Amino acid sequence: MFSGIGNFLSSGTNWAFFVFALLAIGGAIFMISFTKVIHMVVAVAMTFISLAGLYVILNAEFVAFVQVLIYAGAISILMIFGIMMTKHRPGEEAEPKRPWHTGLAIVGALGLFGLLFYAIQQSTFTATGTLDASKDNTLEIGKLLYNEHVIPFEIMSVLLTVAFIGAIVIAKREEE
Amino acid sequence: MVSDYSQYAWLIPLFPLLAFLALTAMGRQLKDFGIYISIVAMLASFVVALLIFVERLGGRVEDYTWDKLDWLKIGDWTLNMGFEVNNLNALMLVIVTLVSLLVNIYSRGYMKDDERIHVFFSYIALFSFSMLGLVISENMLELYIFWELVGVCSFLLVGFWYFKPEARAAAKKAFIVTRIGDVGLFLGMLLLFWYMPGHSLDFSSIHNAFTSGQIDPGIITWIAILIFVGAIGKSGQFPLHTWLPDAMEGPTPISALIHAATMVAAGVYLVARTFDIFQASPDALLVVAYVGGFTAIFAATIGVAQNDIKRILAYSTVSQLGYMMMALGIGVSYASGMFHLFTHAFFKALLFLGAGSVIHAVHTQDINEMGGLARKMKITTWTFAIGALALSGIPPFSGFWSKDLILAEAYDKQPFLFWIGVIAAFFTAFYMSRLFFLTFLGQKRSKHEPHESPASMTVPLVILAVLAVGAGFLNTPMNAWFGRWLTGEQHEETVNWAVMGLSTLAGVLGIGLGYLMYVKKSIARDFISGKAPWLYTLLNRKYWIDEIYNGILVKPLQGLGLLLELIDIYIVDGLVRLFTYAVVGLGRVGSRLQNGQLQSYGLITLLGLLILALAIAGRRFIHVG
Amino acid sequence: MGTVITPYLTLAAILFCIGLYGALTKKNGVIVLLSIELMLNAVNLNLIAFAKLGDHPALTGQIFSLFNITVAAAEAAVGIAILITLYRNKGTTDVNDMDSMKR
Repeated sequence: MFSGIGNFLSSGTNWAFFVFALLAIGGAIFMISFTKVIHMVVAVAMTFISLAGLYVILNAEFVAFVQVLIYAGAISILMIFGIMMTKHRPGEEAEPKRPWHTGLAIVGALGLFGLLFYAIQQSTFTATGTLDASKDNTLEIGKLLYNEHVIPFEIMSVLLTVAFIGAIVIAKREEE
Repeated sequence: MVSDYSQYAWLIPLFPLLAFLALTAMGRQLKDFGIYISIVAMLASFVVALLIFVERLGGRVEDYTWDKLDWLKIGDWTLNMGFEVNNLNALMLVIVTLVSLLVNIYSRGYMKDDERIHVFFSYIALFSFSMLGLVISENMLELYIFWELVGVCSFLLVGFWYFKPEARAAAKKAFIVTRIGDVGLFLGMLLLFWYMPGHSLDFSSIHNAFTSGQIDPGIITWIAILIFVGAIGKSGQFPLHTWLPDAMEGPTPISALIHAATMVAAGVYLVARTFDIFQASPDALLVVAYVGGFTAIFAATIGVAQNDIKRILAYSTVSQLGYMMMALGIGVSYASGMFHLFTHAFFKALLFLGAGSVIHAVHTQDINEMGGLARKMKITTWTFAIGALALSGIPPFSGFWSKDLILAEAYDKQPFLFWIGVIAAFFTAFYMSRLFFLTFLGQKRSKHEPHESPASMTVPLVILAVLAVGAGFLNTPMNAWFGRWLTGEQHEETVNWAVMGLSTLAGVLGIGLGYLMYVKKSIARDFISGKAPWLYTLLNRKYWIDEIYNGILVKPLQGLGLLLELIDIYIVDGLVRLFTYAVVGLGRVGSRLQNGQLQSYGLITLLGLLILALAIAGRRFIHVG
Repeated sequence: MGTVITPYLTLAAILFCIGLYGALTKKNGVIVLLSIELMLNAVNLNLIAFAKLGDHPALTGQIFSLFNITVAAAEAAVGIAILITLYRNKGTTDVNDMDSMKR
């Protein structure tokens, strides 16, 4: 068995994957098990960053940087802002005991995981061709984005505009 | 010769039925006119019955049967309904219609102040219909139907004053105790149906089958005894006699009609009708005779210690019915039993109606509170005396002749029963004389002023008194044509002076003892009861039979009823309530899912998705056969 | 691990299920939104993995994941805005108190 782990850890890629995966899962588990909200946000930020590392291993550098920028940056800060603006009294943060609900949720989540795991194990993926890792990832993505996927790109920008206007309108204070 | 009038026999029950329907529908509006309808209907029935009877008296007339009504058809077995008229029926028809007519007339006076009088007359009409239908029934099933109907009418009439709890209890008791007998009758009928060739139940087939020995002897005894059980119930023999004295809670006219002359005679009539079955089984005859004999003396001893005038007469009825059964059981023919039934109907009805007249005058039923009524109520006193003498078996009254016939047969065939009958006759005479002397002679002890009853009540008394004197001459030992006419069989006629003397002696001794105790007072009233109070209590409390039955039968049944009620409340209801709670609980669980919280809905969606995926994916592993 | 896709898919499945559990169980609305972001991240990981190690390696997966990130960000923004408004009206961010849909 230990030779298997030795084989496993011989490749640097595998070692890196293992570390990042551990950090990601750890961050997620911490998120759901911490009691204070700010701790939860910090934990999930850790998950985001380790995911970015995984993206680098998978030759998706541009996506990795975008991940760090947006998720670990904007979205985490957004959540912290949300927490700050909805004041919490210290005693309120305790979770109510809902044994049936929690139990069923665990069962559901585990069941879903089992289902997905089974599906993953049963499938065979045979690669036809490989991704060329030598090319500049950002350049390639930019080429694809502006040549083939330009319409979704424009629609994305419209979506963002609409979203940000909507958010402002919703969150605006009512005129007294 | 072929009968002219017998084909109209179906009219006889029809008239009272029409009267019943008219009175039930419009009794309250018709008021007095309704009563006259009932009386006229009974008169019409009596006229037809008399025509049929007189025609048959003249000479040998054929039996008439009409059974053309196809009532029940199962496969190739049919049961017909119809009627049959033979000499036995014709006699009963006359008895029933005559006594019913007289009671109708009497009730007009007796029940005049009762506001439910039209209901009373409708019930009497229904009863007359049922009894007459029973009498002319053509087969056992039809007889059973009318038998039950008669029981229902008895229930209705005994419980007529239903606001009295004793009346309600007595009505229930009458119905339930006779029902026990009816079960026996029904079982006997079932056995008959099973074993009769062709499964036929009509009386002519029964006559043919049993006189020609087509039925297995062991079964004959069972059938006979089971039929006799029905007769025990209806005719108040021991051990099902307890309902008859309690039935005195009903109005006195119906005590006269039902519980003296007609319904209780139905048991005797049944045995007579199916006498071929009994004659084919000597063991059954023995049972009948001993039950009858025992009842005769048993009831007579109880009657000695009673103080209610109607109860004394009720026990006397039970005792006389015992005589009739004894006569049938001795087995020579049913003539002796039927003759006693004939004479008993008249003098017992007379006694009851007379008692009703007395009660009407002094408003009490306790003989210790009466006395000295002879001065003011002459007609009642004289007719009552005639009835009492007839019952005590004093010649030349009718009771003497009929009782003598029974005792003579007993002397020949069953000497032990003969002596039982003589001793019972002594007691009979004693308690009747006690009753008569305490009620009519001596000092006036009542607070009320006695007065003679109105004509509507005294005229029937006189008519019955005349019959009580004259009816006996139909069948003296010197000229026993009645027996011949009734059964169509010839019997040897012997005049047994010893028996006649003994029975008269027993009667005279009884009356004499009563005279000494209650008129001359030379023997103290408590001669026996003072020396042996336990004896008096035993007799007065009817040998504690009611209490014994209550303890052995009624209380366990009530306990069983309570147990079943508890089962019903807790187990059966509990089961239903369990279902209710389950459904309501299910609903409540379901409603908890509808709490408006997003996370609950999401959870349910996830679980549903899992189940769906498992169901679809799982089909790969589990082959649905 | 650089040549088989299975570990990445499994990791994504784990993250997805943890995010689902958090979304269904947490009381605070902000944390529910955060769990939803976690689920979206798991999807992204799947996409990127398929882009390199799947049946037809191409950059399309990465493009798709970029779009996914964009949509997720927009949705997070709008979600927080709604949550703040709800907090202003109800005084709490407890999701169990938002049950007016039960009628």
